[in-house]
Amino acid sequence: MQQQEIHNFLLQYFEANDCPILENKPGYLTVQLTIELDKELMNRPFYWHYLEKTGGTPNPMQLTLITNQKEAPDSLKGEIIHFGSPRLHQIFASSKKLARYIRLYENHQQQQRQTALLPWLCLNVKISYQCDRKRDEFKSIGLQLINGAMVEDFHDRLLKIPLTPKIPDYSFTLSPLVKPKSGMLRIEKFLKSEILKEDHSWAEEAKQRWEKDLRLLDHFYEDIEEENESYETEKKALQDQYEPKINISFLNGGLFYLTEKAI
Amino acid sequence: MSIEIEFDSSWQDDFLHRIDEDGPWGNWELYKLSIEVEKHLVIPEFEGLQAPKHLPHLTPLPHQLETAKQVIENMNGKAILADEVGLGKTIEAGLILKEYMIRGLVKKVLILVPASLVTQWGQELNSKFFIPAVTQKKSYVWEQCDVVVSSIDTAKRTPHRDLIYQQDYDLIIIDEAHKLKNNKTKNYEFVQNLKKKFCLLLTATPIQNRVEEIFNLVSLLKPGHLGSETSFYEKYKRDSRSLNDNEHLKELVNKVMIRNRRADTGIEWTKRHVKTIPIEFSKAERELYEAICQLKNEGDWLQANAFSVMTLQREACSSREAVFYTLKNMLQRKENPSQTFQQQIEYLIAMVEAVQQNSKAEKVLELIRNINDKVIIFTEYRATQLFLQWYLKQNGITSVPFRGGFKRGKKDWMRELFQKHAQVLIATEAGGEGINLQFCHHIINFDLPWNPMKLEQRIGRIHRLGQENDVKIYNFAIKNTVEEHILKLLYEKIDLFERVIGELDDILTKLEFGNIEDHLIDIFSGSSSEGEMRIKMENLSSMIEFAENLRKGDSHAAAGNS
Repeated sequence: MQQQEIHNFLLQYFEANDCPILENKPGYLTVQLTIELDKELMNRPFYWHYLEKTGGTPNPMQLTLITNQKEAPDSLKGEIIHFGSPRLHQIFASSKKLARYIRLYENHQQQQRQTALLPWLCLNVKISYQCDRKRDEFKSIGLQLINGAMVEDFHDRLLKIPLTPKIPDYSFTLSPLVKPKSGMLRIEKFLKSEILKEDHSWAEEAKQRWEKDLRLLDHFYEDIEEENESYETEKKALQDQYEPKINISFLNGGLFYLTEKAI
Repeated sequence: MSIEIEFDSSWQDDFLHRIDEDGPWGNWELYKLSIEVEKHLVIPEFEGLQAPKHLPHLTPLPHQLETAKQVIENMNGKAILADEVGLGKTIEAGLILKEYMIRGLVKKVLILVPASLVTQWGQELNSKFFIPAVTQKKSYVWEQCDVVVSSIDTAKRTPHRDLIYQQDYDLIIIDEAHKLKNNKTKNYEFVQNLKKKFCLLLTATPIQNRVEEIFNLVSLLKPGHLGSETSFYEKYKRDSRSLNDNEHLKELVNKVMIRNRRADTGIEWTKRHVKTIPIEFSKAERELYEAICQLKNEGDWLQANAFSVMTLQREACSSREAVFYTLKNMLQRKENPSQTFQQQIEYLIAMVEAVQQNSKAEKVLELIRNINDKVIIFTEYRATQLFLQWYLKQNGITSVPFRGGFKRGKKDWMRELFQKHAQVLIATEAGGEGINLQFCHHIINFDLPWNPMKLEQRIGRIHRLGQENDVKIYNFAIKNTVEEHILKLLYEKIDLFERVIGELDDILTKLEFGNIEDHLIDIFSGSSSEGEMRIKMENLSSMIEFAENLRKGDSHAAAGNS
């Protein structure tokens, strides 16, 4: 992420959370936090607890974030934000937490005609391939809940469609034939079968490394006859270190009602 | 092949509940943002380092980056980091830790370091690496904090020990790991029983160790890498120092160890300037020293107390206080001291009392006034340290003491006091390790340690990365004493002081004759005459020279082959 991207991201995050932007200049921005966001980000539970007990006037904080030290005025006081800064990662985590589930309708332009909207289930996931090393992949899967069509890169397609949280006039939604719960199962199965088709030499190699170290370990302890606790600990440590695993973790997802031709 | 695929479905009920209840639903802008974020945070490759992208204020040196990559990609996260002193092992460990944390391979981390370095490690991880490391102060920290820095001595004690064993650590980092060379110690046992998924052992002095010590260190990291104990000692002699001569063993060790040398890094270092300051005893001091030397000729002392005599000799070159303290101890410790013994000691004490001045201290005062900048004084003796502190104060010079025995907080405080308020830091031997004082560039060796590595460590406190000035080293030696012999015949002959960091341990490893200190003690206590001693010292320094030439020959040969 470049500094400019970080700047834009922060701006969008605070705007999406209804925080007034007090200043937005090259290199920095100052925002007035809402009560909700103060609680979310500023880590001062005692203040809020105290305030609620005493019934005082809430005074959420202002936050100045410097995204480019060269452009921001020297005298400016604020937090310097870069890709590794803990504040940015806190805001990353917050943005994920605040929008896990969603439901939207296509804001289509056929205003005079009754239009049917088809239900889609979308799951965005991260697939992690892990042994003593790790890599991830982002996947976005859409499942049409009428005919069971499965679409990859679903999120990118959604970005091209106008969407609204309220159902537009003259529109009606079709009831899903596939229940969301079994839709989730289908997506899970689909992801797993896709993964199994991939090349897993990374896992083979990890297993070989594991077995090699295990042989060394056995050799080390072969003189010692009785049950040995540290042997068991070491063995477990090798398993934790090398055992290949694939994790599919959920990022966010939702229901989307779209016109027939949208996807 | 079969790989376990885990599908996180903890969110499903929550989602279905919202479908039933018709909300609440998230904001589309935030939803899009969080996907954008995720796409940035996803790491599509097994290889490569992500950490530098997260650390814009840190510019790691090429050898540090290379080391981090090696450890993660080729050593599977278990390594001995054995760079020469001052090349930034902490930075390497920090990079590796950060990389694993970014990739989500490591969450729970235990960092065991000498007590004097706990605060420094904590600060560096927080400020340089943005890793929320917590220094252990209360026992709840083990459970509640993910990254904990502690001293090994605290960690191994109850109740901490049991709490630590209950945690499931992903990475364990141990600084100054050469202290774990003996597998019979409590510390070794404690570390051995820790679960080590990923593990970094940091040490500056691995190859001066005997083969046995190497075996213990490597077996802690990766049991079996050098075979089982029996099979290992069938192949290699326990006290052999032949690591360098045994190519196979060396190769094996190098698979789990990275050692960057100063010469290979291409970093510009500031220079060392060394000055020997010869000092004349005053009459009373000389008399005391001679009286102590006389002890050697009395049969009674020679057998039982050769070591004590030598200690006293060395102490007499430092301060009368140091001599007095030892004499008093000798008297107290001896059960049923004989009349002669008692008289002997009392006679010496009387000699001590006759000494009215400290010639070295007078010189120190003069020197410090001339330098007019921050100075570190090293001495081997507590009593001398106390005396110097008093003496400097009498003469209007501010100083702070530093000892190995200080608690962590006190060490930090003393360092801070020295940096901000005092002109002089007076450290005893134990203070030589584990504190970084780059802001100072004058060292006075008030007396000299007999182990050259200790001296190297003293200098290493200030001559390291971050030192901007040339380093000035002043060696004090009293004329016509053991001290002068050591300085002349050993240190000056082998150019110890002018040497670049790390060369010395190379040379010492080449010599397969054991600990230098043992040899010196043998020479000084075992020699019946001055002449014999001189010859033995000559021999010793020739050996060192020989080893050095061997080493040079090696590198020529290597250059010729390439």
